[in-house]
Amino acid sequence: MTTTDKPSQTTELQSMSPTEPGAQTMTLSVGPQHSGSGHMRLIVELDGDIIINAMPDPGYVHRGIEKIIELRNIIRSIPVIERPSIIDASNLNHAWVKAIEELQGVEPPARGQYLRCLLNEMNRIMSHLYWLSIYGVFLGHTTMFMWPLGDRELFIDLAERLTGARITYSYLVPGGVRRDLPQGFAEEAIKRTIYFEKRLDEYEKIFFENPLFTSRAKGIGTLSPERAIALGSTGPTLRGSGIDRDLRKDEPYAAYSELDFKVHTRPDGDSYSRAMVHMDEMRESSQLIRQILKRLPSGPVRRKAPIVVPRGEAYARVESARGECSFYMIGEGGDKPYRARYITGSYRNMAAIPEVLKGVRLADMPTSWWSIDYWPVEADR
Amino acid sequence: MSAQKSAQSDDPVELLADSLNVWVGKLSDIVHKVIDTEPIRNVINWARMYSLWPVNITTACCSAEFGAASGARHDLERFGVLAYGSLRQSDLIIIEGTITKKMAKRLRTIYDQMMLPRYVIAMGDCAISGGLFHDSYSIVNGAHEFLPVDVFVPGCPPRPEALEQGIIMLQEKIRKSKVYPEG
Repeated sequence: MTTTDKPSQTTELQSMSPTEPGAQTMTLSVGPQHSGSGHMRLIVELDGDIIINAMPDPGYVHRGIEKIIELRNIIRSIPVIERPSIIDASNLNHAWVKAIEELQGVEPPARGQYLRCLLNEMNRIMSHLYWLSIYGVFLGHTTMFMWPLGDRELFIDLAERLTGARITYSYLVPGGVRRDLPQGFAEEAIKRTIYFEKRLDEYEKIFFENPLFTSRAKGIGTLSPERAIALGSTGPTLRGSGIDRDLRKDEPYAAYSELDFKVHTRPDGDSYSRAMVHMDEMRESSQLIRQILKRLPSGPVRRKAPIVVPRGEAYARVESARGECSFYMIGEGGDKPYRARYITGSYRNMAAIPEVLKGVRLADMPTSWWSIDYWPVEADR
Repeated sequence: MSAQKSAQSDDPVELLADSLNVWVGKLSDIVHKVIDTEPIRNVINWARMYSLWPVNITTACCSAEFGAASGARHDLERFGVLAYGSLRQSDLIIIEGTITKKMAKRLRTIYDQMMLPRYVIAMGDCAISGGLFHDSYSIVNGAHEFLPVDVFVPGCPPRPEALEQGIIMLQEKIRKSKVYPEG
């Protein structure tokens, strides 16, 4: 904690008087060892307890993934691709295989496409639930920490049955998916999604209608639609500002063109609307899981694809839980890409953090900045 | 140290202080020995075992499984593990995954600021040997390079059950340990 005095002729007492805002500001370093920051640092400049400037200091989890995937073949790279956001592993994996398939010209079979969507939607729910539980920690709401993590285990069990791993699946491979549905999976999944939707109503009652949350979120941390576009926000952050943009709808990939779902937006652009977009998306994804299981076509789940990246360039993007995740890939004909540029949703949303935090009281900082759903590991890569 | 000092100076006051220090030193040794005997040591170790508070620091993606372990199904609090913000009241660092060079300095600073006794659990392959990212340019290959690690929990990421096992192992280690850690 350091204090910076602006050079002025006033005495110490005068500079501390409330009549002169901006005469004395304080710079506060939040994180990386802090319950409200995660693996990053926020450098917050305060006037009284009002934030006048906030700068994120990322890079605590930069692991050089773009370099590592140049050194391994495309199958061995899949676990590395997943690690930036293991709570949303399937969606990131999807962007990777989509870029490779675009270069190879391989189209996975219909059943494989549906199974990809199934795991993607399950991952979206798990990721949002994890976000919600951390939101509970930030606000000191222990019930909201325990409930979502407990309900997340419902979907973790399902995913474990489908893929064999709790959160890191490596399920999507070029040409399709690794396994078919296990026996009795569909019935169990439908039962669990119906139960989960009932739980979401309870979440709303205990947390989203609770003054503890609403008084700290409604009208606070606003991001206008114009600024959201100018700053390049994506995902729930952009939809929370009232802009209808979802790659699943605008640029359908896998089986999304054949599925019925709504893109949820909220007009206000404050912390509350961003949080509610997450809630709406969980309901929609839960409904989508049932739909996918009902419409699942029969046939093979995987087509043979060579372990080779043909010469050429490809750009692939998917809608991950935190927004647009994209790969720009250059192939040379070997078993690994020459170069792959990897941009994730959190990285794009980082620019919105200073905008959202400006003018917010320090006590409301966790509510405002966590509503962006910024996952530092994913942003640093 | 004190012998060197007294050899250097002939000041009677300093000599007296040195001899007093020797006396107090012996007295404290006796007190330490008394506290370290069976019944008192068992009570102190029992208290330490079941109130392991880890510092609120996350290094990488294993934090997702740490979150799941503290959550409803696994509930680490039944082992007395509750993530806490203040360093001075914490006695455990759980290193959750990859340690980048930028984070390693902060981890060491945090470890140095903590009160004795303090324990370290290295969770995940990356914190043990670099794991999946062993050939990366920006990471430290293992927590043991800059911290004394008590328990290693392998896995990528380890399941919550594995983390619980690691905590039980640490508790066993504390049960057998002395009251005053050496060094």
